[in-house]
Amino acid sequence: MEVGPGHFLLAKLDDVARWAQSSSVWPLTMGLACCAIEMMSVTAPEYDVARLGSEVFRASPRQADLMIVSGRVAQKMAPIVKRLYDQMADPKWVISMGACASSGGIFDNYAIVQGVDTIVPVDVYVPGCPPTPDGLLYAINLIQQQIREGGRGGIFARA
Amino acid sequence: MSVSSTPLEPLGSEVLLQDGNAMVLSMGPQHPSTHGVLQIMLEIEGETVVKAEPEIGYLHTGIEKTAENLFWTQAQTVIERMDYLAPESNALCYCLAVEKLLGVEAEIPERATLIRVLVAELTRIASHCVWLGTHGIDLGALSIFFYCFDLRENILDLQEAAGGARMHPNYVRVGGVNGDLPDGFLTRLDALIEKFPGRMRELRALLQKNPIFQDRTIDVGIVSAEQAVGWALTGPALRASGVAYDVRRAFPYCGYDKYEFDVPTRKEGDAYARFLVRLDEMDEAMRIVAQVRKALRPGPTMSSNVKFAPPPKETIAISMEALIHHFKLVSEGFRVPPGDVYASVEGPRGELGYYVVSDGGNRPYRVRTRPPSLYNLQALKGMAPGNLIADLVVMIGSMDPVFGEVDR
Amino acid sequence: MPSPQAPPMAGTAIDPTSVRPDLADAQIERVAPASLRARLEALKSEGYAMLLDIGGVDYPRRDARFDVVYHLLKLPVSSATVQEIGTPNRIRVLCAVPENVALPTVSDLWKNADWAEREIFDLFGIRFDGHPDMRRIQMPTHWEGHPLRKDYPVRGPARERAPRPDFANKGNVPAGTPPTGKSAQVLEEQNVAQDHKR
Repeated sequence: MEVGPGHFLLAKLDDVARWAQSSSVWPLTMGLACCAIEMMSVTAPEYDVARLGSEVFRASPRQADLMIVSGRVAQKMAPIVKRLYDQMADPKWVISMGACASSGGIFDNYAIVQGVDTIVPVDVYVPGCPPTPDGLLYAINLIQQQIREGGRGGIFARA
Repeated sequence: MSVSSTPLEPLGSEVLLQDGNAMVLSMGPQHPSTHGVLQIMLEIEGETVVKAEPEIGYLHTGIEKTAENLFWTQAQTVIERMDYLAPESNALCYCLAVEKLLGVEAEIPERATLIRVLVAELTRIASHCVWLGTHGIDLGALSIFFYCFDLRENILDLQEAAGGARMHPNYVRVGGVNGDLPDGFLTRLDALIEKFPGRMRELRALLQKNPIFQDRTIDVGIVSAEQAVGWALTGPALRASGVAYDVRRAFPYCGYDKYEFDVPTRKEGDAYARFLVRLDEMDEAMRIVAQVRKALRPGPTMSSNVKFAPPPKETIAISMEALIHHFKLVSEGFRVPPGDVYASVEGPRGELGYYVVSDGGNRPYRVRTRPPSLYNLQALKGMAPGNLIADLVVMIGSMDPVFGEVDR
Repeated sequence: MPSPQAPPMAGTAIDPTSVRPDLADAQIERVAPASLRARLEALKSEGYAMLLDIGGVDYPRRDARFDVVYHLLKLPVSSATVQEIGTPNRIRVLCAVPENVALPTVSDLWKNADWAEREIFDLFGIRFDGHPDMRRIQMPTHWEGHPLRKDYPVRGPARERAPRPDFANKGNVPAGTPPTGKSAQVLEEQNVAQDHKR
């Protein structure tokens, strides 16, 4: 952004769009298990995610742009997580919150999908069982950073 | 033997009949008001529910199977994650069951028992805070959610100080508790005890006399005493229907017979009665916490029997026996004599029980959970017909299910 | 992973329910499958109005492989105070069931037996005759096998790790892949910036 002659501010439309997108990331209510309670704590007054722009958690995937997979993904739930991800409109991001969503966590067994990244592409992984709300706030910050700077997932994003 | 090739569950459930104007609607498993991953197959005519068939299993974690492959203390980590709103009550019930099988109930130090009660009651209040907040949100009352979670933060701070983690601290262990209360804990506890009545007044002022809330919860989801016992409801749901069965009074554990507390009971059996019972229970829980606070005396917090309780960390550097026992307990775990036992506690949702079978080894042979939420939720099948879908949301909220427990 | 000294899948050679110490946690009874229904009906008429839970246990080395355990509680069916309830009587009825033998349902006696029996069918494979809706409850409908049996491996059948769904993202980036595209570009800029700083 530069200040032009007179009183004009010039910026690339791309940057403005990214700034707007990153300042109003609306998550989808994908609360599965214990991590969902910490996700609720993130919306609570002590950790307040509304100040980062996530004012509301939308129940409908059509209206959300961030899916926070919070909790263990059971075999029965896996197709539904995938379906919800497909229903979200582009651009969309995914945070895999907690050990169970990232890799199956402490449940290395028949019933839990060993990492939600086998079903949907994940942008940020948050370790912890459950992660403290600070961890989730940092993850949302990383998502905002990714939105502003471009790039997607892989080794670049860690909470 | 792979995951099904038609992954999604069949939408037209066989138990529902499509007939005339009826429509089959799947409510959930992703839904803001189902308190977790619950799918209810509804047969509706307009807005009225003709039949409701809850489908569970969307959070089935195989906890009981996993526990069979872990040592007794390791199994507690997975078992604590069943009722994730009140993790210490799972841990407490499991430890009571294992201690019964070991035959060491008399060896648990007094301070450990007091701390167990303290932590159990605090976790009950924290769980009811989540219930109240989410119940309010379901009905459109957003403010109470913030008040409740603020109160919950105070309790989680205490839990983190004592146990090391906000949720799932694994603080209650077989033999006592894992480490003494840290410095400053009692000061903060006193501060909480002092500000709690004011907080409860605020919470009550927000919803109790609110005409909209009363309109939506009075005479909704009425369960008579006979129906409640028939559906095996326990906890606040049963007590709101008139049957004052509380495990802390009926089968006292951890010295609950010494404390003075009431068991709030109501006769109406509707959602409003369950609401009032839980609010009163929060008050009673804090009453017990205050009594425990007065009774706390310095002392050991873990049994001194090194056959199953790890010796204090400081002694490992000095004593050879302590080192060897610690090594054995960590690498092999302790052995529990063969037998089967059923132990139960009064969790925030009702009677939480564990039927633990040991074959004499260092792993549980079987840990069967008696999940209160499973039976509380099953009653929905009987309560729902004839009501509006909006009433269904109220009923689920008033039953307060936790799906970690329902599905395990 | 705990040591393999006591592999859980082998089951146990002893019967814990018969060598148990006297723990006084409940009255305990063992009943044969043929007389189970009659005994439970009798208990219900004696006042055991609440069926707390039905659980299953697998003892593969025993002839009658499974134990189905009914926990009953004697509670009044009308309003009662804490004093009136007192210490209610608890009873535990164990029934040894061989494989492929069905038990009679009790969902008409106690309504909450419905889901409990479905769960035992799902996780152990024991059928209940007369049940209104005998189908799986925890596992997906087309799942094969009964997970809580001792011979069912904890990670899922005959596999190193739990099965991945058919629609799994096989193109997921494996660890150690060098960055490409925008990530590589940004990393390069950062490296260049650091070089300049030096």
